[in-house]
Amino acid sequence: MHINRNVFVILTVFFLLVAALYTAWSVIDFHSNPAHAGATHVLGVEWVGTITLALCAGLSGLIAFYLAMSQRAVGGVLPEDRQDAEIDDGDPEVGYFSPWSWWPIALAFGAALVFLGLAVGIWVSFIGAPIAFLAIVGWYYEYYRGNFAR
Amino acid sequence: MRDIGHNGIVTSTTIRPTPSPVINRPNVTQVGVIVWLGSEVMFFAGLFAIYFTLRNFSPELWAEQTAKLNVPYAAVNTLILVLSSVTCQMGVFAAEKYRARRTGGPLQFWKWGMVEWIFLTYAMGAVFVVGQIFEYGQLVSEHIAFTGDSYGSAFYLTTGFHALHVTGGLIAFLLLLGRTFAVKTFTHREAVTAITVSYYWHFVDVVWIGLFAVIYILK
Repeated sequence: MHINRNVFVILTVFFLLVAALYTAWSVIDFHSNPAHAGATHVLGVEWVGTITLALCAGLSGLIAFYLAMSQRAVGGVLPEDRQDAEIDDGDPEVGYFSPWSWWPIALAFGAALVFLGLAVGIWVSFIGAPIAFLAIVGWYYEYYRGNFAR
Repeated sequence: MRDIGHNGIVTSTTIRPTPSPVINRPNVTQVGVIVWLGSEVMFFAGLFAIYFTLRNFSPELWAEQTAKLNVPYAAVNTLILVLSSVTCQMGVFAAEKYRARRTGGPLQFWKWGMVEWIFLTYAMGAVFVVGQIFEYGQLVSEHIAFTGDSYGSAFYLTTGFHALHVTGGLIAFLLLLGRTFAVKTFTHREAVTAITVSYYWHFVDVVWIGLFAVIYILK
């Protein structure tokens, strides 16, 4: 798993560097503007870019941290880490997936009503929210009821 | 002259006699949730960017309005949320040992199962949200309103979206408890559910630490 982790570590370092560069550049640009001549008490940081670039590092760092942590926990050597891996090795059991389900459509309907209500009148949201909640419960317990109860 | 067959210069992969290595991939649900939490980081990045930009444009308003914040009250509330992350993790440790229910008396917390820890976490998270509602009431009475000025908008947008996330986490805890009660034997699948919900809860907790540092300490 170390290759996957390294990709995100590199991204984290890259975004940190870019955030620092962006911040320094915007400060220099602000103070070299003649219109801001006397503004020594202002930092001149452009906050939107600085924060979002810094938190892009947070986004990549979170995934890198998770991969490092799960590598330590399960000690997984994935086929992509090995020079001599075969294509077949990368075809694992990925998990349990529902073959079909109506609940996502019900949930989409409820969520659509909630957001429609935000646009046209909040009362529509009050109808949509219970539908969305019922759909979440239905989806969540779909394989815990009936034939699947255990 | 060497006898070269029609395939003489082509190398081809060989099927190795050695068994292929055991592959321990991280659980696909957990990886998916972590990537989604990465996108949540960027959602809150937008809110932080709103807050800092508005603060940059009206420092006098910020000085006036942040003086009304009750920092010790918010600090106690923060402490409750941070401690709820600890109790949530204790629940995960119990879930990883497939100990769904307590094996001792109700007050022997070292023998608690996942259910008891999650109930405690739920109560602490609920106390946090209720505490924040009281704080909002106090601040509204001191004329910090959502539509009043840019400070009010920034304050209620950031803390409000966070409170909505905490409320979502509380609903997730209820669904998790429901799954645990629905099955006769607590298996790997239920443990994965518990671990995944805990990732979300820790994330919400970390975001609040960032918000607390920005809104109540940095001002």
